[in-house]
Amino acid sequence: MSGAMDEPLPERGKRPAQGRSKTLRTALGGLFAFRGRSSPTVEVGVSVLAAAIVLGLWEAASRAGWIAPQFLPSPSAVLGALWTMTTEQSLGYHIAVSTGRVWAAFLLAAAMAIPIGILMSSYRIVGAALEPMIDFIRYLPVPALVPLSIIWFGVGETTKIFLLWLGTFFQLVLLVADDMRRVPHEYVEVARTVGANSRQLMWDVALRSMGPTLLDNLRITLGWCWTYLIIAEIVAASSGIGYVIWQARRFVKTPEVMAGVVVIGLIGLVTDQLLRLLHRRFFRYL
Amino acid sequence: MTADYLRFYGVAKTFGTVPVVRRTDLSIARDALVVFLGPSGCGKTTLMRMVGGLDSPTEGWIELDGGRVDRPDRRRGMVFQSYSSFPWLTVAQNIAFGMRYRDDLTAAEKQERVRHYLDLVGLTDFADSYPSRISGGMRQRVAIARTLAAGSEVLLMDEPFGALDALTRERLQVQLRSIQKREAKTVVFVTHDVEEAVFLADRIILFSARPATIVADIDVTAELGAERPLDIRETRPFFDLRNHVLHLIRHETSEAA
Repeated sequence: MSGAMDEPLPERGKRPAQGRSKTLRTALGGLFAFRGRSSPTVEVGVSVLAAAIVLGLWEAASRAGWIAPQFLPSPSAVLGALWTMTTEQSLGYHIAVSTGRVWAAFLLAAAMAIPIGILMSSYRIVGAALEPMIDFIRYLPVPALVPLSIIWFGVGETTKIFLLWLGTFFQLVLLVADDMRRVPHEYVEVARTVGANSRQLMWDVALRSMGPTLLDNLRITLGWCWTYLIIAEIVAASSGIGYVIWQARRFVKTPEVMAGVVVIGLIGLVTDQLLRLLHRRFFRYL
Repeated sequence: MTADYLRFYGVAKTFGTVPVVRRTDLSIARDALVVFLGPSGCGKTTLMRMVGGLDSPTEGWIELDGGRVDRPDRRRGMVFQSYSSFPWLTVAQNIAFGMRYRDDLTAAEKQERVRHYLDLVGLTDFADSYPSRISGGMRQRVAIARTLAAGSEVLLMDEPFGALDALTRERLQVQLRSIQKREAKTVVFVTHDVEEAVFLADRIILFSARPATIVADIDVTAELGAERPLDIRETRPFFDLRNHVLHLIRHETSEAA
């Protein structure tokens, strides 16, 4: 039954055999074309090169004395501080504590936001009851709620996890509701005509359909969770990267402050790449 | 053919205060390929969705083989223009999805049916491909196979070839007629393309602009016969019938304007 006009699409990533230099030229050309396509290797190369240029300029500016080191220490000074903090100040322990807090709050937020967001989109009564409240709380600045959270939960771990949860849950729940809303009704109707009940519609169709965007949104909100870490860890904390940064700030140890910030950035980068890998593995069909 | 297989009894539909389908009485024979033709937005899709049990009539009711239609079930399968197959399932899994909730078939029987319908729609070589890797025409064939595998007696097709290029569309029309006759299924096909309607239909029900009202009931088989080779489009009877239907639909559209 197949014919010339009704052929499968060419497989992505498969290109006709061609010379190595021509492939490289095409990949480089793709970098400069509007919405052009390049190879992943070339793109990684560009990313590393761009980072090296920025670091090089920064190092040169610091060494030339254009910027006072207490405001912006050189990359080599930050690297030195990072080494000292790791070998002498238990930075690994603080990283582990912060990571634990962030993941505890994030998993709690996800475990609550996914079912609530799905229910908000699926049943109007839940949406109508919760959406205005969530919208209201979503706009409250997390730092403004620090005193309240101390009154409610004291100065222990609960407060820190609560503040991180607060910054994540209310955003995530609306994103999940939106993901659910975007499940094409055709999928739902096809499943209904082949006999799916409500539970089967949810598991076999809705969750499968929203899977890729849901994982993307989890990835984005996990990033937000890290951005609230400093706020959570300046509240009577004695551990965590936020605490380390805050302590360093008190004694104007700018290289250590920068090192703490860099650590958060690196953790974010690695986590993001791992979640992207997960996305590619789970959703090969995209 | 059973003349009164699918029957509409005074079916009307109103959305809020807007009438979409005016009181409709209609009878469709078993194993017929009936095309609902009308201007865009006239309400023909709404009428078809009511056959699927996806919408309820505001007035009247629909019966399939003597039983009242009040909810979706696998006896009436839908094929849509877009999102017709599940992207996370392979071609074979999409076809098997039609039988996913059937307890009356063993796993081996389900597998056998998947093989049969893969072969019927010519997609055996693409059984393990995902929909994103096959063409739009193939995706529509997957949807047809899934509906057949589900055991649907009536195929409800909402402009399924609307997004395809002209040649693929033509080929799928030929394939649909051949499958429909071979599998002895009743098909209700919604389109606003006159040539597609004349080529495909045993019978055309022509609707007015909204609210949908039947303005003509054309027995295409009586005019063109049951056999529809591709080159029938170049024959005088086809040409005349197409012009006649076009004239009716133009008249209808200008009346509404």
